[in-house]
Amino acid sequence: MENSIETIWKEGFLHEKSLVVPRVNDLYNRKSIHLVDRLKRRLRLNLIMILVLAILFPVIGYFMQVIWQGVAASVLLLLTAWYNKRQIDRIKTLDQGATSFDYLRSFDRWLKDALSRSVKIARFSYSLYFLIAVSTAWSTWNEQTGGELSIAAGIIVAMATLVVFYFSDRIYRWDVRLMYGRVFRKLELTIAEMEKLKQG
Amino acid sequence: MSNDFYRISILPFAAIIIKICRAYTTSQEDFEDYYQEVCLQIWRSKDNFREQCSWSTWVYRIALNVCLTLVKKRKSKGHTYFSSDGLPDVVTIENRAFADEQLNQLYTAIRHLSEVDRALILLYLEEKSYGEIAEILGTNANNIGVRVNRIKERLKKIINGEFN
Repeated sequence: MENSIETIWKEGFLHEKSLVVPRVNDLYNRKSIHLVDRLKRRLRLNLIMILVLAILFPVIGYFMQVIWQGVAASVLLLLTAWYNKRQIDRIKTLDQGATSFDYLRSFDRWLKDALSRSVKIARFSYSLYFLIAVSTAWSTWNEQTGGELSIAAGIIVAMATLVVFYFSDRIYRWDVRLMYGRVFRKLELTIAEMEKLKQG
Repeated sequence: MSNDFYRISILPFAAIIIKICRAYTTSQEDFEDYYQEVCLQIWRSKDNFREQCSWSTWVYRIALNVCLTLVKKRKSKGHTYFSSDGLPDVVTIENRAFADEQLNQLYTAIRHLSEVDRALILLYLEEKSYGEIAEILGTNANNIGVRVNRIKERLKKIINGEFN
């Protein structure tokens, strides 16, 4: 090589026309797609996990001799999966808008809407899951001891179910935060930043 | 980001950002991603600029930090730019991003260096003093001269070995 690296650098850039500045108005396009894709992947993964559990529960129930409780949990899980699938399908109908900002905003609206609907459903489903769990524990205990359900125990279970019903929205939100918290925060931050970017 | 901020505070330093981003990427797509990320980071951190250094030093520092972070992130996600023999996996048109062929060769050689050595040599080639280089990279200025000489030797070897 004839020239020193300093010369190559200096002369190379002296008449360089390739220093074309990339466009920055597409700043968030790929970011948005990536973010939404990540959330969609997680939602699908969650769906698969629910389906796997729906298959496993009756099998476990069979071996634990609580087949009906296993089937009941499975039916509940399948209903949850069906509802979640419907929610995920709605993403496709979202308004993609003119910009990635519009898309993220409509995605955020869909998310909030889906969450508020799910909270209402969780009120009943969580209580039912709790009753199934109690029934499973009761059946197992009954099998071993042959005891009968006392009125006091019945009252305690009923009160505990009411407590679960009352706190189900918080439990559900905690559950969702645990699974999707990071992506949700990222989505909020991205939208906030895009709004700020627009304002300058 | 307002057009004014971009036009006044970033555009005059676009060449710096482009030169740095090119050294850490091998495709046009990645290059544009890195460039945009650097611009965004400059905008994000504009309020932290305390005028203890010049704006261009600030831009260099941010551009290098962003590139190093992105390279690290991609590595952890399993993206590799180079095959086991240290050469780019695919010699794409993007490896010839500049009209000057010798400049393309120099860039290809620079991409063979470690991330920190790349930063160091870029700053040296941009005629930053050892003190400024140390300030931007947050290291001691004492051994920068020795390191620069070693890197230059290595670059010569790479270029001669590959292209002559």
